[in-house]
Amino acid sequence: MPLEIDVEGLRKTFGRREVLKGLSFSLERGGFLSIFGPNGAGKTTTLRVLATLLTAGAGTVRVAGHDVRDDPMPVRRTIGFISHDPMLYLDLTAQENLRFYADMYGVDDREARITELLERLELSHRRHDVARTYSKGMRQRLAIARAILHRPRVLLLDEPHSGLDPRAVDILDGLLTEIRDEHTFVMVTHNIAKGLEWGTRLMIIENGRIAYEHAAGVDPESFSAVYREHVQEGAVL
Amino acid sequence: MAILRKDLIRELRTREMLISMILFVLLAMVIFHYAFTVKEGADLTYFTGGMLWVTFIFAMLLGLNRSFAQEKDERCLDGLLLCPVDRVTIFLAKTAGNLIFLLIIQVVAVPVFTLFFVERSYAGDLLPFLVVLLLADVGICALGTLLATISMNTRSRDLLLPIIFLPLIVPVLIAATGATTLIFAEGAGFGGLLARVLFLLGFDVVFIVAAYGTYDFAIGE
Amino acid sequence: MKQLVSAPALFVEAGICLVAGLLLAFLYAPVDASSMGFSQKIFFYHVPIAETALVAFGIALVAAIAYLRTQNLKWDRLGLVCVRLGLLFSLLVMVTGMIWGKAAWGVWWAWEPRLTTFLLVCFLYIAYLVLRSVVEEEQRRATYAAVFAIIAFIDVPMTFFATRFLPEGLHPVVITTGGTGMEASMLVSFLISMLGMTLLLVALIRRDLAVEDLKDRVADLKNTIGG
Repeated sequence: MPLEIDVEGLRKTFGRREVLKGLSFSLERGGFLSIFGPNGAGKTTTLRVLATLLTAGAGTVRVAGHDVRDDPMPVRRTIGFISHDPMLYLDLTAQENLRFYADMYGVDDREARITELLERLELSHRRHDVARTYSKGMRQRLAIARAILHRPRVLLLDEPHSGLDPRAVDILDGLLTEIRDEHTFVMVTHNIAKGLEWGTRLMIIENGRIAYEHAAGVDPESFSAVYREHVQEGAVL
Repeated sequence: MAILRKDLIRELRTREMLISMILFVLLAMVIFHYAFTVKEGADLTYFTGGMLWVTFIFAMLLGLNRSFAQEKDERCLDGLLLCPVDRVTIFLAKTAGNLIFLLIIQVVAVPVFTLFFVERSYAGDLLPFLVVLLLADVGICALGTLLATISMNTRSRDLLLPIIFLPLIVPVLIAATGATTLIFAEGAGFGGLLARVLFLLGFDVVFIVAAYGTYDFAIGE
Repeated sequence: MKQLVSAPALFVEAGICLVAGLLLAFLYAPVDASSMGFSQKIFFYHVPIAETALVAFGIALVAAIAYLRTQNLKWDRLGLVCVRLGLLFSLLVMVTGMIWGKAAWGVWWAWEPRLTTFLLVCFLYIAYLVLRSVVEEEQRRATYAAVFAIIAFIDVPMTFFATRFLPEGLHPVVITTGGTGMEASMLVSFLISMLGMTLLLVALIRRDLAVEDLKDRVADLKNTIGG
C-alpha cells in the first residue's frame, strides 16, 4: 500500500513556543487516522501543515506523493479540508459559493457536480439563498460540499462533528461511509466514539509530540484509560 | 477570473462598500469647500488636483480595509489559500477588483468635482486626464492591496494601514496631483505631462514587480 | 587585524576619523566661495550622515531579502538594527539640514527635495517600526517587516524623483553631491568624514546587534525560569 501521508521530524515554532516537536508518522492510502489530544497540543497545527496552510519549521511532510513545502499545488488539488470555520462567503448563495470553488479547482462537470452535492446534503431547496440565512448546521453541510467538490483523494477533518445538529451528523457520517473506500482521512476529534469507530489508526498528540499511536482494534476501555491519562479534559464517549 | 467575479458579485449584492465610499468622497468635497473658502473669492484652482487625489486615497483606505476584512471574517482566506492557485494570481485578482471599485467611484466623483471646483473646461485634455487617472489608480490599488494583505493580519488593522500606506503613496500623489492640477488650471497636453505620466508608469511597473516577488510571503503563513 | 575591527576599536577609529574630518573641515579646507560662506561647513557632516542613513537602509534591504530566502531570524535582527540606526541618522540629517538652512537662508524649514525626501523617509521607517509593534508572532513579524523594508527602499528614490516635480520655491537647491566641484582639500576632508561616519555606522550596528542578542538571551532565560 503506497503511503498517502508521510511525515518525518515535523517541527513548528510560533514565536518562542515550539508547538510541534518532531512528529513522525505515516498513513497508507485508504487509511483513516484519528487524532486525539488536549487543546493546544498541536493537533490543528499538524493538520494545517498537511493542508499547506502552514509551513513547517523543519522536517519533511509528503502528502499524496508530493512535498507540501516544495510542491504544494498538486497537494492542494488532492486534499479537502473541513474545519469548524465553514470558509463560506456569507453574501453569496450556496450555488455561487460552490461555483466559485468549482472554478478555482477546475472542476469539469461543474453544474452537475454542484447539483449532485446539494442534493446529497439536502440543501437543494435553499440553493439560491444567501449563505447568511443558513443555520449553523446548514452552513456546515455547505462547507462539506465545498470540501469534496473537487473529488479530493485525501480528506482532512478538524473536529467536523462539533456544532452539528443530529441530522447533519447523520448526513456527514453517511457521506463519509459512502466515500470511505479509495479515500484517505485524517480526522482530529474530541469525540472518542467517532474516532474509534472510523479510525484504522489512532494517535494522541500531547504537547507537540506523539504520546500514543496504535492501529485500530483496541479495547475501548483501555483506550479510554490511556486517553484520560493524556488528555486532561473529560472523555466524550 | 473566478476571484474577481466573486468579489464583484459580492459587492454588487450588498453595495455596502461602494455606497459608503461614494458618499465619503462626495462629503469630502463639500467639506473641502467649507474648509478652504475662508476669504471672499478664494481661488481654489491650484488646489484642485490635490483635493481630488487626497479624497480618492482616503476613500481607498476605507475600501481596502473592508475588502479584506470580509476574507478574514469567515476564515475565507484559508479557503482561498487551499485552492491550487498561485498567490500572485490572488494578488492580481484582488488588485483588479479594487481598481474596478475605484473606477466606479471616480465615474461618479469626477463629474461632481468638476461641477464644484473646476472653472475651465478640460474636454480637450480628456485623454491625458484619463491616462493619468488610470495610471495613478493602478499604483494606488496595487500598493494598497499588497499592504492591506499585511495589515489585515495584524492587531490593529484599520489603524495600521494608513500609517504604512500613506508614506509609500506620496510619489504617486505628487505626480498625479501635479498633472491633474495642470490639466484643470491651465490645460496641458501629453507634452507637458510626459514626465509625470512616465513616472507614474514607472512606479506602477516597479511596484507590481515588487509585489510579484513578495506577495507569497505577505499572504502566507 | 581582528583587533582593528572589534567593536570598541571601531568606535575609536570612527571617532578619530570624525574628529579629523571636523578639524580638516574647519582648518584645512577653504571657506566656501558661494554665498553660504562658513555655514557651508556643515556640509561635511550633513551629507555623510545622509549617505550613511541610506547605506543603513540599503543593508536593511539586503537583510530583508536574505530573511525571506532563509527564514533565519538573524537577518531580521540585522534589518531592525539597521532601520533604527537609519532612522536616527535620518533625523540627524533633518536637524543638520535645518541648521544649515537657518544659517544660510534664514529659515528653519524649506520644502526642498532633499529635506522633503528625508522627512518622508523618516515617516516610512517609523511606519516600519509601528508595523513591527503590532505583530506579535516572531516569524510573521519578520516576514512582514522584510516585505515592508523592500517596498520602502524602492520607494525612497521614487519619492526623491517625485519631489523634483514640485516647484522649487524660494530656496534654490544648491548642493551638488557629486563632489566634482570640490577642491582637493575639501574633497579630502569630505572623504574622511564619510569614512568616519560609515565606520560609526558599522560600530553602532555591531553594538546594537550585541544588545539585541543579549535581550533575546535574557528573554529565553526568563522563559525557562518562569515556565
